[in-house]
Amino acid sequence: MEKKKCIPGTIAPEVYKALEDIVGPKYISQDRAIIECYSKFSVDSGGTLKKHAKDPSNIPACIVLPASTAEVQAIMRVCHRYTVPVIPFTNGMITFNGPPTPEPTVCVHVSRMNKVLEINEDTMTARLEAYADYAQVQADAMKKGLWNGGSPLATTLCKLSSQSAFAGVWQTDHKYGTLSRNVVSIKLVTPTGDVIITGSDTVAGVDCFWEYGPGPDLFSLVRGSGGTTGIITEVVVKLHAWPGGEELPEPPAGRPCIHTYKEAKYDTAPFPKHHKLLWVEFPDFETELEALRKIGHASICAGLNATGVYNAYYCSQTQDLTLDRVANKFFPPYNLYVIIAGFVSEKQITYEENVIRDIIQETGGTFLSEDYKDDVLYALAPWNLDCIRHVTGYRMNRHAYCGSNILGGPVDTVARKTREVWSKAIDTFGETYVTDRGGMDDTPFLYSSNHSGRFWLTEADVYPDMTKPELLQRGQALVACGIVNTIADKFGPGANGLGVSIEPITSFMPEVGPNAHVLFRKIRHIFDPSGICAPGRQVFTKEEYDNFPDEAVAGLNKLRQMHGMPPVEKK
Amino acid sequence: MSDLKSNLEKIVGKGSVLVDEVRLNEYSGDQSFVAPRKPDAVVFVDTVEQIQALIRHANKTLIPIIPYSSGKNLHGATIPDQGGIILNLSNMNRIIEIDEENWFAVIEPGVTYRQLQDTLLKKGFRVMVPFGCVPERSVLSSYLERDPVLAAPSFEHGNSLILDTELVLPDGELFRTGNWASGGRPGAPNGPIRNTLSRLWTGSQGTLGVLTKMVVQIEPVPQAQKFFFIPFPTLADAVEPLQRIQRKEIGTECFLLNNFNLAALFTDTWDIPNRFPVESIPSPDFEQLRRLAPSWVLTVCINGPLRRTEEKISYEVEALEQLCDILNVELLESLPHIPAAQTTMRAEMLRPWSILKKFNYKGTVHDLSFKAPLKKIAALEKTLLDQALKKNYPLDDIGMYLLPLERGRGLHCEFDLHCRQSTPSDGAEWEQVKALWLQASAELINCGAYFDRPYGAWAHMVYARAGNYTQMLRKLKSETDPNNILNPGKLCFT
Repeated sequence: MEKKKCIPGTIAPEVYKALEDIVGPKYISQDRAIIECYSKFSVDSGGTLKKHAKDPSNIPACIVLPASTAEVQAIMRVCHRYTVPVIPFTNGMITFNGPPTPEPTVCVHVSRMNKVLEINEDTMTARLEAYADYAQVQADAMKKGLWNGGSPLATTLCKLSSQSAFAGVWQTDHKYGTLSRNVVSIKLVTPTGDVIITGSDTVAGVDCFWEYGPGPDLFSLVRGSGGTTGIITEVVVKLHAWPGGEELPEPPAGRPCIHTYKEAKYDTAPFPKHHKLLWVEFPDFETELEALRKIGHASICAGLNATGVYNAYYCSQTQDLTLDRVANKFFPPYNLYVIIAGFVSEKQITYEENVIRDIIQETGGTFLSEDYKDDVLYALAPWNLDCIRHVTGYRMNRHAYCGSNILGGPVDTVARKTREVWSKAIDTFGETYVTDRGGMDDTPFLYSSNHSGRFWLTEADVYPDMTKPELLQRGQALVACGIVNTIADKFGPGANGLGVSIEPITSFMPEVGPNAHVLFRKIRHIFDPSGICAPGRQVFTKEEYDNFPDEAVAGLNKLRQMHGMPPVEKK
Repeated sequence: MSDLKSNLEKIVGKGSVLVDEVRLNEYSGDQSFVAPRKPDAVVFVDTVEQIQALIRHANKTLIPIIPYSSGKNLHGATIPDQGGIILNLSNMNRIIEIDEENWFAVIEPGVTYRQLQDTLLKKGFRVMVPFGCVPERSVLSSYLERDPVLAAPSFEHGNSLILDTELVLPDGELFRTGNWASGGRPGAPNGPIRNTLSRLWTGSQGTLGVLTKMVVQIEPVPQAQKFFFIPFPTLADAVEPLQRIQRKEIGTECFLLNNFNLAALFTDTWDIPNRFPVESIPSPDFEQLRRLAPSWVLTVCINGPLRRTEEKISYEVEALEQLCDILNVELLESLPHIPAAQTTMRAEMLRPWSILKKFNYKGTVHDLSFKAPLKKIAALEKTLLDQALKKNYPLDDIGMYLLPLERGRGLHCEFDLHCRQSTPSDGAEWEQVKALWLQASAELINCGAYFDRPYGAWAHMVYARAGNYTQMLRKLKSETDPNNILNPGKLCFT
């Protein structure tokens, strides 16, 4: 590795002073030890590669911690006035790079805005500050017989504000849809310092209960904008009836991380009240898909998913145990699970279980039970809690996660396609770790995202050792290959199945939309005329597009041609 | 004018352009209070390419384009406020695909509810339909304008029924959302780009683009249905039972009607009109039913699916009975004086247009259509009644329909005022009801009613209270439609 100094950029003293005047000296820093902490997000291969290359462009120039929407507005106005780039930051668990440009950047960390402001039982909504997480809102809402409808598979520490702009896939998407269906309102500080509120909340004197703004709905422009429309400071989410009791029966924390250690209290959790989780295995992929399709069409259950080999990652206490379970196929390669709840009464659980048992009998599946593979069922017990409040997402024992290929569509086609696309990518570039192959030879991760099982999401992930740059690069190539392959095959969602397009995919895949980048560029311009907010991340300005390196374009064109698409000329 | 006609005919062909006064007058207004204005031309299109060419032509000539699918909006959305060309999409009426495996239908803008429902029923499927929509209304426009469907109480079945969309942007470029955005098969809203993007064009009254195709969810017709009716003396009495039933997630369709609307729905003496306004027809049967019907009736529909039909209905019925016992409210399987209530309601769940018979009462209906939280509805009803009293409008002549949204998170409310169409010899009633409608709208908004689809005069009242949102919408319009050619004058756009 080349020995060179890595010197981060700095912002002008007058800008720093203006920001300091807003938040006070305690809540702003350009200390190297501090800013380094914000220089690589936890699942960010691009940022890590910059670390290896001692490229300082991923290090923010300073960190600001505002305490209110008013302070965020003031920060934005300063940055707008001096044309200083800004990136919003919650807990840094996204796959996007840090500061996307080499310009000295202000990182706005909203960690002081962390309260659940209101649980409104009348309108079934929760108003949250930007840093409030799923665990907080669930704990508060469940005391009132309500909950938000799910928690992400990346742990309940995720912040609903950033997920409103990016993601939000839950195990209970089958009943409630993804987070995008569950946002009633957001309060957004635009890059010019204005506040935009979406939903009914935007009209003075009207309660916050309905998700559509008057006439055209502006939430649609913020969702999936990757932080380019501004910083969300508040989010109001829908709540739903919760029959599971005031408190969840969480297992105690503190389990020793020794794979031979067995103590039931750490690894098992009972179901929440009035809930049930059923696990089923199948002899092959086809019967599994048939069952998933039929259960979807029955329009029952709160959750309907298949986890396949991912169970080994989620439910194993150590890396060794994970690999052992993968190698020995400890968990059934073809499986599904359903989450049932008694919203109407206990008889709803009985009815839905009866329907599922009918379907499983028709399709040739077998329920895991005390009489059949009870050891496997025992090992799956963490899901009993995690299906509602997902706490083990980052217990997954693999190397670092640095990207995904997420497809969406009907279960039959999407399940097959994800195996095909990801296998092709791995066959072309090679895997970065054995767990990259998760789901390719058995069941890919499948989430039903519609109550009648109309459309599903699948996920294939890459897990390189972050200390090895060549593996990180390979990981990036795998993800890019999967995306380009998906677009070439006209198969959505592809790029980021959650509906977030990122550069350079946005501009160099004009087939999407078509020419989605042209419309998005206009949208970015109206929110951010100076192009300061997360610049270059979601859609390039014309200038950013022109400055995009030719060698990177050549790499993308190579992938395009590999998948039968003509090269894109910069113009 | 002849230049305009010939230029348009070059794009769409002879016979597809109307410029004669009589025909243009037909497009100049509807039954609403929105001031009429004659278009300069009406153009019938058959293809997306023609739409693109027309929009590019409009950008060059700066002539407004007003998208028009069925003309059954009834709120003035297609009245050309600044003249221009009516882009009549009614010939684009193909049901392109019905996917029985993945439960969606691909439709063009001219496809009507009647057409789609009839086609689907033959295959054992149904599309979700709004209560009281005109059967000839465009499904695409109705979904785009966020008309709430009867299944709206159910979170799973009642909202977000739009999957993929195809549209022509104000610059003439084609754009797609959902799975379609990648160019392949439709069937999901979450495409490779911004998975709620299609929401931008909802409620836009054709000001931001022309939708040319839509993929909508369909689902199998229930195997069995059971209806229950709960009468209430006042609206306030209905609030808690409605909320409790919804929180328990009992039933799919569920709505409240007052005695005026109940009588209009069930009377046998009126026909369902298909043109508006209609001739006023006195009906003793309606009057008698109105007198005898309970002040308010909550209807709950419990659906039985394909699998274990009776078992599903049974546990929901049991839960409903238990809840009504606790609430001490009467749970009826039939309505007094309306023996065919179960049968009629079953038919209404698929073709819910009998309530349109209400137009026969005086000829025109002017609804106050808004959303509100449950806790406010009784006060909002009082606000309207107070205004009606002040303006000497008979309180018994107000029709009311309330639909819970997403298990009671809110309500969709339609309060109807009735009046005779203004004529050159007598416009007094028209003016009186119009004044009440305007004043009541303003007062309801003052009291927290949310007019999320701000048609006509509501637009100013709503957008004046939504400063930054309004400004951002205007910037968006200006950036994407710099020549302001798409339906100018609507919403907050000049």
